[in-house]
Amino acid sequence: MKRIITAAVTLAALTAAGCGSSSNTTSTATHKAAGASTSCSASIAIEGPFTGPVAQVGLEQLHFAQLAVANDNAANKTNVVLNQDDTQLTPSMAVSKTQAIIASPAVAVVGPAGSQEVQAVGPLFGRAGVAFITGSATLPALTTSGKNPTFFRAVPNDNIQGPQDANYIVNHLKPKAVLVIDDNEAYSQGLVKTMIPIFQKAGIKVNHQTLNGTDTGATLANAISSLVSSQLTPTETVTVLPWQAAANAQTFGLDVKQQHKTTTLFGTDGTNSPSQFKIPGSYVSNFGPDISTSTSTLDKSLVSGVAKFGPYGSFGVPTYAATDVLMQAISSVCKAGQSPSRSNVLAAVKKTNIPAAATPMAAVIAFQPNGDLVDHPGYLFHIDSAGKYAQIPNK
Amino acid sequence: MQEFIQTIVNGLQTGSLYALIALGYTMVYGILKLLNFAHGDVYMVGAYIGYFVIHWFGGPTALSIPVPLLILIMFALASTGCGLLGVAMERFAYRPLRDAPRIAPLITALGISFVLENTVLLLFGGFTRSYQTESFISATSGIHLGGVTINIVEIMVIVVSVAMMFGLRQIVHRTTLGKSMRAVASDREAAEMLGINVNRTIALTFFIGSAMAGVAGVMSGLAFDQITNTIGFLAGLKAFTAAVVGGIGSIAGAMIGGIVIGLAEAFSLSYISTKYADLIVFGILIVTMLVRPQGIFGRPLLQKV
Repeated sequence: MKRIITAAVTLAALTAAGCGSSSNTTSTATHKAAGASTSCSASIAIEGPFTGPVAQVGLEQLHFAQLAVANDNAANKTNVVLNQDDTQLTPSMAVSKTQAIIASPAVAVVGPAGSQEVQAVGPLFGRAGVAFITGSATLPALTTSGKNPTFFRAVPNDNIQGPQDANYIVNHLKPKAVLVIDDNEAYSQGLVKTMIPIFQKAGIKVNHQTLNGTDTGATLANAISSLVSSQLTPTETVTVLPWQAAANAQTFGLDVKQQHKTTTLFGTDGTNSPSQFKIPGSYVSNFGPDISTSTSTLDKSLVSGVAKFGPYGSFGVPTYAATDVLMQAISSVCKAGQSPSRSNVLAAVKKTNIPAAATPMAAVIAFQPNGDLVDHPGYLFHIDSAGKYAQIPNK
Repeated sequence: MQEFIQTIVNGLQTGSLYALIALGYTMVYGILKLLNFAHGDVYMVGAYIGYFVIHWFGGPTALSIPVPLLILIMFALASTGCGLLGVAMERFAYRPLRDAPRIAPLITALGISFVLENTVLLLFGGFTRSYQTESFISATSGIHLGGVTINIVEIMVIVVSVAMMFGLRQIVHRTTLGKSMRAVASDREAAEMLGINVNRTIALTFFIGSAMAGVAGVMSGLAFDQITNTIGFLAGLKAFTAAVVGGIGSIAGAMIGGIVIGLAEAFSLSYISTKYADLIVFGILIVTMLVRPQGIFGRPLLQKV
């Protein structure tokens, strides 16, 4: 019996030691038990698209979440284990992984990444009393529907991002007509819904089209080419692409060039990927700042911490902030002399108040009762002639 | 007019690729009466081989060899690799089931499809990988027609596909191997009694069909830029639709079926809606099955009673 206990403790310690690992494997089925080497131990999970068409987003989120866990474990003397659950950005996979998480000892969850996934898993987490916080799901209804009582987000919702983007287009790009193409997903359609009324109010003619974002290969490329040839007219000097796959926006831009047409592309956070979408002259909005040139110590440590994983976009920083919220909540529970549980971690998350200087989001992280941030700015980038992103004021 | 020309170009390009994949379906069906649903994934493997060849020679922005040579090497390695993959599939998965009820190899084919998709996922990840074709082949150079640029890659896809289809037709109708293939397709047992090496003929049929899918995969990567481990699924289904519409078992039918499906998809996308293109393409399949089940070039199946 003693040998079994020794083996179990050793295994738990090894598991805990590996929590900050840089591995990008997508182990999903096994939910490891919390380690027992310190007095404040817990396990949390992260749901994200670690494989599939938007894996670059999910892996970036994973690497930043791992960094947050490692940093906060060291700073708060906690022993929190981060388990990974790959959802491929699909609601059905997210539901399956959520059921596994609920059956595991996890006290809270980072993610999922997509709004459509949050819609699918929110009621499940709600019934189980598990706090979950996303670094990228921005559909406004997630916090207004009342169906996701334990949901939080470390990013502004589309009611903030969409109007900010639309107003920027109206005031700075001044088009007479815009082509707006959604990708048939909740995220994309949510943003479009907030932008179109602003264009119409400004007297801008709107040509709204839909791309089937789940198509692949030849069909997808054909669909994008057809949209350029059949829908993009010379008056539409701005094309808004609130898509989730940056590579598709790049294909759109190349088709515009090939067909000798001109338009300024304006993508949203889903297209924010310096390695995949780099059409010169385009704009990309995002819910996370660019920390690559920041002089703050925290930002510098993040930049060096994830450098080994190659180029990254703007999805990582909000997920770092989201993970940090959970880590701080667990730490505060322990400091209050309690063992972390789903209920006390949820209560602690609701009381979150992280000062701007202590988060890479450079803004206070505190939540409204519905899980939305109290206040948060958006971020905007312009792609220069060399294909590089430069952060610009979004007002 | 510009839109119409662009739609025709898109349709011919996509249709050519569907036709190349459909030929593999139709050859295997003709000889074994097997619907090889793993064939779309062989195309996907071809696309990945092409991608790695680009990176083997320095990557899209720093190629160490001339582009035409690169493309030739991509075609050679993808067709050889995929051809051998097809032979391996036939030898280890389908041959043991040759005399089993037809449902067994069909289910096996679906299983192999998942195995290939997930093997690529495990080996290379689920990232969308980009050929970055524009880095080494200009998207705006080519033939200018009615305000539309038919670029070099589009021309290459159409020309290479037509040449390969014509070459296959010559092989089937003018070579000893082709005669053997037709004999095995007509009556396997009789062909064996006449001294034809049936196993070798079937293996070569898989090799040729899979090699063409490999070349189609490379051309898809060059033309559409993005590849993932899932691109074979939808392309395979559409190529299967093309084979059925053209008349499964008929080589000419696969070619025409591919072009018909490619054009139907392109015109649906341009003139109806991007949302309903798949509905229309698969609607054509249903209508064909109802109105002319044997397809455009297929012969009605006669059964002795």
